[in-house]
Amino acid sequence: MPTIKGIRARLRALLRRDAAERELEEELRFHIEMETEKNVRMGLSASEARRRALRDFGGIEPTKEAHRDVRGRWLEELAADTRYALRTLRRAPVLAGAAIVTLALGIGANTTIFSAVNAEILQPLPFANPSRLVMLWEENPEKGWHEEVCAPANAFDWKEQVRAFGDVAMYFEGAGQSTLTGEGAPQILKAGGVTGNLFDVLGVRAQLGRMLMPDETWSASGVAHSVVISDRFWRTHLGADPRIVGRTIRIDGQSREIVGVAPAGFSFPVEGIDFWRPMAWKPEFRNQIFFRRAHLVRAIARLAPGVSQQIANAQLQTVVNQLKQQYPATNKFMGAGLTPLHRFLVGDTQLPLLVLLASVALLLLIACANVGNLLLVRAVGREREAALRLTLGAGRLRLAKQALTESVVLSVLGGVAGVAIGIAGKRVLQRLLPAGMLRSSHFDVDWTVLGYVLVIVLGSGLLFGTAPALWTGRRSPAESLKEGARGGDSRRMRRWTELLVVGEVALAVVLTLGAGLLVRSFQELMIVDPGFEPRGVLATQIVLSGPRYDSTAQQRLFFEELIRRTAALPGVEGAAVTTVPPLAGTSYTSDFVIAGRPTGEYYTEITHRSVTPDYFRVMHVRLLRGRVFTPADKLNAAPVLIINEQIAQKYFKGQDPVGQRITFDKVPNDSSQWSTIVGVVAGERQRALSAEPLNETYIPYAQEVQSGVSLMTRTSGDPTAVAPAIRRIVGELDPDIAISDLRSMETIRDASLARERFLMAMLAIFAVVGLLLAVVGVYGVLAQVARRRTREMGIRIALGSPIGQVRWLVVRHGLGLVSIGVVIGISVALVTTRGLTALLYHIAPADPVTFVAIPVLLAVTGVAAAWVPALQASRADPAVALRSE
Amino acid sequence: MPAAPTSSAADVLRGTLDLLVLKTLTLAPMHGWGVSQRIQQFSRGVLDVNQGSLYPALQRLEQKGWIESEWRTTENNRRAKYYSLTRAGRRAVGDEAANWRRYVEAVELILQVS
Repeated sequence: MPTIKGIRARLRALLRRDAAERELEEELRFHIEMETEKNVRMGLSASEARRRALRDFGGIEPTKEAHRDVRGRWLEELAADTRYALRTLRRAPVLAGAAIVTLALGIGANTTIFSAVNAEILQPLPFANPSRLVMLWEENPEKGWHEEVCAPANAFDWKEQVRAFGDVAMYFEGAGQSTLTGEGAPQILKAGGVTGNLFDVLGVRAQLGRMLMPDETWSASGVAHSVVISDRFWRTHLGADPRIVGRTIRIDGQSREIVGVAPAGFSFPVEGIDFWRPMAWKPEFRNQIFFRRAHLVRAIARLAPGVSQQIANAQLQTVVNQLKQQYPATNKFMGAGLTPLHRFLVGDTQLPLLVLLASVALLLLIACANVGNLLLVRAVGREREAALRLTLGAGRLRLAKQALTESVVLSVLGGVAGVAIGIAGKRVLQRLLPAGMLRSSHFDVDWTVLGYVLVIVLGSGLLFGTAPALWTGRRSPAESLKEGARGGDSRRMRRWTELLVVGEVALAVVLTLGAGLLVRSFQELMIVDPGFEPRGVLATQIVLSGPRYDSTAQQRLFFEELIRRTAALPGVEGAAVTTVPPLAGTSYTSDFVIAGRPTGEYYTEITHRSVTPDYFRVMHVRLLRGRVFTPADKLNAAPVLIINEQIAQKYFKGQDPVGQRITFDKVPNDSSQWSTIVGVVAGERQRALSAEPLNETYIPYAQEVQSGVSLMTRTSGDPTAVAPAIRRIVGELDPDIAISDLRSMETIRDASLARERFLMAMLAIFAVVGLLLAVVGVYGVLAQVARRRTREMGIRIALGSPIGQVRWLVVRHGLGLVSIGVVIGISVALVTTRGLTALLYHIAPADPVTFVAIPVLLAVTGVAAAWVPALQASRADPAVALRSE
Repeated sequence: MPAAPTSSAADVLRGTLDLLVLKTLTLAPMHGWGVSQRIQQFSRGVLDVNQGSLYPALQRLEQKGWIESEWRTTENNRRAKYYSLTRAGRRAVGDEAANWRRYVEAVELILQVS
């Protein structure tokens, strides 16, 4: 067993090779001298004494050799092989350059993608003891809910009754919009709404002051007085003032005390949070029905020490069952469950990332096949050298090792360049990444990434080095010297290169098919009819807050005036307000009952949205039946609503829904408000272009006012041109109102496809590069084949074969290789593309169009690659060709 | 890559040499020549250490961490590399000696059979 001292001796021998040699020399000299002296003492003459000493010693050089063997010859060999490899690579700079660049690109792409995978999936969450955190969610088979947000009352019951939970904290998903005033122009801030204990549960401590306290969850007045600000907000807005704790700022028209600054880099639940405010629920909410009916918070539990997830879940189920019996009106079908927090948060980012990682891995494999081919061709070119060395007594293993060393040296050089490319690529990736695609857009090339890179560098070196090494190690010198006379080409070597080419074509087919599917899916998304016309519409979100807008009447008046003034702007065709803009998700859903249906029959899951009368005209939402809202649908007028065609089809099959009445109650009573359906409109896609329209009802804004809305403005020209005018109008109406970016609805639609576009573009780029590499590989092999057959072609042409037929020989060879590769690629892809299913819209993972088009494309490219060498070979003058070689 | 595996007979011999070197060094730190002289002397001339294997053996023992080396001047004012036992080396002497005795006993038993 090596000890520290032993290792030190080895290291010393290694690092100070020359010194070790000198020491040994001196040690042996001393030995001979002592022996000589001894012989002299025994009466021999000086010269005889020395002669005998040397003789007794039995040869100095063998001793030195034996000594070196012990000292560790392999390292010396490695060093020598490395020097040799560097020397030979320098002698073939084009080949070395091509190989290193190919590898560097492959390894660079892997470095970049893996650094994102590492940060997102592999690294633990930046919380204390993150493995003890679980996400709690609710499910409801009746409503089709799975892993849904929770009703606060249920979550509080779990917190109090499930002993396996150390604590349960809640927060609003996403970020709220708040207005900061009194610090220059009003600004919109991103707010995190949390229970006071969230930071304790996560184990996050303030860098200044304190985080929120558990008792701040509740507030008798319903107003949150304290806020914790993020490090970024502290630096960008408050000059990183070290005495900031205790200062007040005006948010949403109310003054709040800054009680602390969160640690740098911390942002939860989404990136870019400016401040966190406690829920400040009124204590009486705890026992009110809406607190159990409204599903609006995410809940995180920290498991009590020593409790397993299974036990926690079992206890949770017990409580859930009790709640079902205790509160049947709300909880009869309400289940719940838990998922490790990390897994839950990684959620749907995992698949795109893994797809990207798989594609860059394929790319690297293709690159390896190409480099392997380059080296193989050269190994054959150097066959005579190898044969000569074998004949002179070099070991086969030693030669193979040398060839392998050369490959690894290449891959290490490629790896070093690759890491540099990867770091640059990481910056590009961070800029290109659609917002919100990853939990955090901050990821780095850290030690884990470098370790991974080292593994793939050595792995690829061994991979593409194996063929040339085996080749070098296996040939018999006689065969090589004999064949060497004929230019060193042989059938066996051709098999190797052909194998590599078939392999890389297959890999390129898999990669390209994957990319092709995503491109097709994206095309499908682009032609989706979202149910409205985004072109020419400008959208902006406005939230009214503060005492000036305490009553809904004040809010309604503000927006009516805003719409009136906006619609009067030149170039504006109309303006309307909606509480939820399209593609932004939904508000709440509820159960409902249709008048005249059997008693007790109720339906679930329709969403609500209030809009002003012009909304349908502004958005070009098609009216299918009945009428749209008019200004006459006022607060005190008869309650009316408009349904989308999805509701009409599902609940009014074969009937005219117009004129029928519904109420949003499961069990109607005397106080239930019945609304009359006055119209049916085409469905708008609310969540995403890829998601079918949900069942949606529209309510006149005047009959259901909300303080936060989106103003939609239809213009005759470029919608962004009216943005400054709208800003001015809002400023005139109330200088304390901040408005978010005014974006055209087209921009919003494109942004909603950002993830899909990003993934498609990345894969398409990788596929094109992979395809190019494969084509280069095919070309390289066929160029060899053509060169070998130049003589044969010369003869054929001389004997009168048509040139086209001669060319066909080479092309047929290429087509054969490509076909095998394509068939293998298709078979592999038929299995692997199933992994893409969740990412595809309206396209099957075995989409016939893609699976025909891509192979044809590849075959055509392959033939093109074969055509060039065929042309060259057949053009050769038969006389010259016959004399060649 | 460690030295190539050798036949079992060579292993025995090498093991023996290691033990002899270690045992010799228990007396005092010594240079290579001194070790070879002592072994010859103690074995009353029966064992003659092959110099060709002595120095590799010393190197090997140093790598195992059983001995360490240091350049010093001899009584005759010459520079020589002195080897001395490390603590691990001292423990190893006992183990190696026990192994050797077991081996000798075993061989002796077999010889008595005939």
